[in-house]
Amino acid sequence: MIDIQGLSKHFDKVVAVDGISFKVNKGEVFGLLGENGAGKTTTLRMLATMLTPTSGTAKMAGFDIINEPEKVRGSIGILFGGESGLYDRLTAEENIAYFGELNDMDRNRIKERIKELAKVFNMEDYLSRRAGKLSKGMRQKVAFARAIIHDPDIMLLDEPTSGLDVSAIRDVHEFIKRCKSEGKTVIFSSHSMDEVEKLCDRVGVIHKGRLVATGTLDEIKSQYGDSDLENIFIRLVGGKSES
Amino acid sequence: MNLKHVWIVFKKEVKDIIRDRRTIITSILVPMILIPLLNILVGGNVEKLNRDITENITVALSESSNTEEIRNLVKNEVIKDYPNISLIEVDDPIEAIKESKVRVVLDFEEDYLTKLNEGKPFVIKLLYDKSQTKSEGSLGFIWDAIDNFNRKIVERRLDTYGISKDILTPAVIEESNIADEKESAGSILAMIFPILIVILMSSAGIAPATDLVAGEKERNTFEPLLTTKPSRLSLLVGKYLTVTLFSFITVIATMVGVIIGYVINPSSFSMGSGTNITGFSIPPVALLLVIIISITLGMTFSALQIAFSTYAKSFKEAQTYLSFLMIAVMIPGYATMFMQPKEIPVYMFFVPVLNALSAFKTVFGYSIDYTYLFYTLGSSVVYVIISLWLTASLFTKEKFLFRS
Ligand SMILES: Nc1ncnc2c1ncn2[C@@H]1O[C@H](COP(=O)(O)OP(=O)(O)OP(=O)(O)O)[C@@H](O)[C@H]1O
Ligand SMILES: [Mg+2]
Repeated sequence: MIDIQGLSKHFDKVVAVDGISFKVNKGEVFGLLGENGAGKTTTLRMLATMLTPTSGTAKMAGFDIINEPEKVRGSIGILFGGESGLYDRLTAEENIAYFGELNDMDRNRIKERIKELAKVFNMEDYLSRRAGKLSKGMRQKVAFARAIIHDPDIMLLDEPTSGLDVSAIRDVHEFIKRCKSEGKTVIFSSHSMDEVEKLCDRVGVIHKGRLVATGTLDEIKSQYGDSDLENIFIRLVGGKSES
Repeated sequence: MNLKHVWIVFKKEVKDIIRDRRTIITSILVPMILIPLLNILVGGNVEKLNRDITENITVALSESSNTEEIRNLVKNEVIKDYPNISLIEVDDPIEAIKESKVRVVLDFEEDYLTKLNEGKPFVIKLLYDKSQTKSEGSLGFIWDAIDNFNRKIVERRLDTYGISKDILTPAVIEESNIADEKESAGSILAMIFPILIVILMSSAGIAPATDLVAGEKERNTFEPLLTTKPSRLSLLVGKYLTVTLFSFITVIATMVGVIIGYVINPSSFSMGSGTNITGFSIPPVALLLVIIISITLGMTFSALQIAFSTYAKSFKEAQTYLSFLMIAVMIPGYATMFMQPKEIPVYMFFVPVLNALSAFKTVFGYSIDYTYLFYTLGSSVVYVIISLWLTASLFTKEKFLFRS
């Protein structure tokens, strides 16, 4: 479903991402682990066609991010950062519908889909309220619905739990599980080992723009002879930065 | 570019902005009310001041010269032909000027009567307060009255010698204004309207332009938007059309305001200059060109505003850039404010902003030359294209979209 081939990104002299390659199968949740400045956001932005790779490419749901960016965008949903950015002067429903329209859905389909999602996320009571008047938790649910209104095959989440409180984090985790249960392919980046352990089928550890380890959790644990992912992470990351 | 996507973005942005009470107030209500208000206040005040200066001029006599004799002389000889000047009694003449009870105090020389009878000059001192506009403004009328008094005395004296008073005026001046009423009215409009239109065109888009790109970046809605199907160009055009629409709305609101101001108080247009502007009429073709040029101006500014808003790292920064842009436009506006339509050098019809200012000046100043208007139109279209190209290349460069 996702096939990343030697993806690199340079910002002037900074090499943010340095020749990353990995595959994510359909229905898998892939965790991208890395410390600050490792290149997670840059990688996800390239996959979302927001940034053009310096070299390499990736296939998303069969479409090439360089040659078919529009088709790629039509098959992905994103959730970047913890705080949900909504248009405050539009209602919750209008916020969601706007993204449906932009993704070429017809009006009736959008209506149906919003009804469906409102039930799933318990948003029926505040669909017609302005987003600016909603609580943080409500806004988050609107952002979830907006991200999957067009039922994308792939979800890209960049540190979706950063800066959130406990219950909001649980909501995000529920959301990821829901995406998985619907057969979506998910990549999400994170700082937190716990969350990665809890949710991911496979992980990739990224350090200074390079992928230093990939595999299922068990594979990685047995490869490094340690059952504590955090220790492995420190070893991977710490070892590299000494050189 | 996909027109359906452009339309979706445009529709949403318009809806979003219409719900923002602030934008509605700044782009519709304020321009609609501000101009008539300003016209009425400024125009009205200037008129009132003019009236006050010319009417109800009060004078008093200094303590030393406040005698029955002098009072009669002043009343019956000096200010007799001036119904707008009146002599009043006050306790303390100097204090009375300061308190604005009296405009000017007359102080007669002690032995004025002897001198007058002997045919020698005597002195009348005029005491006034330069810090008070009305006191200073009234001085001229007193001068006039005393001049008139002098002439009367001289005429009387000549009469006793049997000489005609014509001897006093070897040359008689007659003046006549060859500008017709239209042109004098035009020159006032030529001064005010061009700069008004240009400033409005450059300021109208500020609020929507900052909101639509810098604002969207700041509120974290920009990244999700960029990952929807539409190309960046479609998003840009949708946003651009929204900003352009709002700058037109502002201009229309202003024009409505100008008309309201005119209906309430026609003389406010002349800003108290006294010029009559009832003869005001512009050929329809020229008016159409003014509108089209204004539109190209609005399109250029909208594109530049979006460009700055894209380049800015934050909402605040965008606002700062756009205020500078507006000031940059005001400079040529004020610099050419007093330029006469007929003095405008040809090159000015090709320079950005100056070209529109010049074209408007010629139209409102009734020195329309269609060749020059088409120079302006042509160069304006070129600037629209350049500004759009600039904005499009900025908006589609990730370097500027993701500055942080
Ligand atoms: N637009 C940009 N221009 C220049 N350099 C950039 C840009 N975006 C990212 N970088 C640089 O690229 C490197 C990788 O950044 P990136 O944001 O991808 O890291 P990250 O893993 O997401 O970090 P964090 O956990 O802090 O979000 C950093 O050194 C960063 O400074
Ligand atoms: Mg990041």
